[in-house]
Amino acid sequence: MESTFNRATNFVTRSRVWRSFFRHGMPDNEMDRSLVMTTNIFFHLHPVKVNRRSLRVTYSFGLGIISAILFLTLTVTGVLLMFYYVPATTLAYSTMKDLQTTIPLGQLARNMHRWSAHLMVLAVILHMVRVFYTGAYKPPREFNWLVGVVLLLLTLGASFTGYLLPWDQLSYWAITVGTNIASYAPVLGSTARSILLGGSEVGQNTLIRFYALHVIIIPLGLILLISLHLWRVRKDGGLAGQEIPEERLEIASLKE
Amino acid sequence: MTVAKTTSDSKVSRRQFIGYAWAVAVIALFAQAAGALYQFVQPIVQAGGFGGKVNAGNVNEFAVDTVSTVREMHGFVSRVEPQGALTMSWTCTHLGCTVPWVESEKQFHCPCHGSLYNTKGEVTGGPAPRPLDLYPSEVVGDELVVDTSQTIQRTKFDQSQITPFPKGA
Amino acid sequence: MAAEIKDQKTENIFPSAPTKTYQLMELVRGTSPMANKGPDNTVFSFPVVALIEVLLLLGTTLLVFVFSLLRNAPLEDIANPTVTTNPAKAPWYFVGLQELLEHMHPLVAGVLIPSVLVLFLVVIPYLDNDRTGAGRWFTSQRGRRITLLSAIYAVIVMPLLIVLDNTFNLREMLRGVAPELISQIILPGLIITLAAWLPMLILLRWKPTMREVILCLFTVMFVSAIVLTLSGFLFRGPGFKLYLPWAMPGGYNPLSGL
Repeated sequence: MESTFNRATNFVTRSRVWRSFFRHGMPDNEMDRSLVMTTNIFFHLHPVKVNRRSLRVTYSFGLGIISAILFLTLTVTGVLLMFYYVPATTLAYSTMKDLQTTIPLGQLARNMHRWSAHLMVLAVILHMVRVFYTGAYKPPREFNWLVGVVLLLLTLGASFTGYLLPWDQLSYWAITVGTNIASYAPVLGSTARSILLGGSEVGQNTLIRFYALHVIIIPLGLILLISLHLWRVRKDGGLAGQEIPEERLEIASLKE
Repeated sequence: MTVAKTTSDSKVSRRQFIGYAWAVAVIALFAQAAGALYQFVQPIVQAGGFGGKVNAGNVNEFAVDTVSTVREMHGFVSRVEPQGALTMSWTCTHLGCTVPWVESEKQFHCPCHGSLYNTKGEVTGGPAPRPLDLYPSEVVGDELVVDTSQTIQRTKFDQSQITPFPKGA
Repeated sequence: MAAEIKDQKTENIFPSAPTKTYQLMELVRGTSPMANKGPDNTVFSFPVVALIEVLLLLGTTLLVFVFSLLRNAPLEDIANPTVTTNPAKAPWYFVGLQELLEHMHPLVAGVLIPSVLVLFLVVIPYLDNDRTGAGRWFTSQRGRRITLLSAIYAVIVMPLLIVLDNTFNLREMLRGVAPELISQIILPGLIITLAAWLPMLILLRWKPTMREVILCLFTVMFVSAIVLTLSGFLFRGPGFKLYLPWAMPGGYNPLSGL
């Protein structure tokens, strides 16, 4: 039995087809574990080896990864919602009602999208706070901190534009108040507001503009900058937490 | 035969000049694209309905010292005195919420941030920075016609803002 | 003494000869010939990191999934431009700004303060470019103390300012007395700037490093943002007036607007 299984796996993994897909063998030895990281696009953002110190939960709390995971969840559930949602003032609300009442698991998809969105804003903020307090923005990571600040703003933008889409009282007045704040900015304020709203008040033009921003423009920006952000983490030497060797830390705390 | 060398005192060589010309052309191209985008995203101005001239009703419907909410004009007709009335927008000057007339309090009370306005639209409390905006209006025959295509911002109430009503109204 | 023993050991392994221009300097225990590095403390990313990521993925998704089963996303009545909900609140992450708007002119609360905060975030790594302590929570014990004290300061002062302005409202007291420029822009702007920089006056006597200055400012900013958000989200009821979250009039539930 064992040998049949082994033969079958060997037949598959040694076939030309399999080997054209994967450029590494079973990652049970150091060579193949390195090759996994260098030859696989999904793994190549990781270094081949990581410092144990940067893996400690109390150092990073995994907040950056959690933010990225939530972005993934939001993409999946968001695409599902797009199957039914219509960004028209006459239809938007009724499609929301349909999602909640008639479409199987529509309510669940909407719930997951909503709660993931809130959680992502929270995770991104906490991630920034963690990076700040651990001093991980210091050289050579200054630029990546800037990318992070832009990512925070984009996350807020994605959440804010999504807030209008259900077209209920909650969203309508939140966006009315929110965009009116922008109009107080000198010079650019009222122009920016009317371009954002596509008019002088929140209406059909606003809904379709926010929809375009929410489902494509901001997500594309996020994907671009998340890639840059992760790439820079790698290029700047991984997490900052690994940099001080253990014994120097002890000496430093003794001095105090 | 010797090739005649072009001599010039110019500090910019021919290569540099062409390089600069390219750079300027590329920048101009992007500027043009940005300008085009700016024009593209400008809102469309819609005609008809709210945004045009709205008939608020017969002047006799607006009794002295009352405030009437007129949905079609997105605002109020406030008959502050027998001689005429103010035609005001219902949009809060603070952050754009719709301000309702609260009959029990005899004032406009914004639910968003608690701005208060009196019957003349003057701010009596809360964060609103200026009185309620006005619509230009006139009495045609016995009908009050309000031009909702524009609002007039004001810093304080004065007598000239009142649209005069015909005698006996 | 120790040096002599070590020398003896290297001498045994690789005797130095006067004719050679090179010699064995030191013996180091390790698996790689890298110099000037601490002991190797690394593991292969595969499968450890991959496993951590899969666990985080499962955990996060499970959390969101279970919460979605328990609690439905809110959907109020269809949007109606003629009726404003009471209260009308922004999404929770902007409610802190809305709370600020309650106390001063929108130009200050909605434009100036957010711009200054974003600008502050942007310049942090360029103000503090000293690499010592990178990767260490709060950099040092002193940094930890400064952070804690700044947080306590903000937790006390910010609610105090909110309640104070709610009771003795600057705008209403100065209405008709001073122009709006003073009562709504200059005075609140000064108060909030002063509140943010006050801990700095004490900190400056400790001869702080740039990192410690920024620790203090960031903490005051972050904790104030939390206080303002909580105040706007939980304590503001109908008419955006202050109430206790469990004693809201008209059955308003502050959690319903999530």
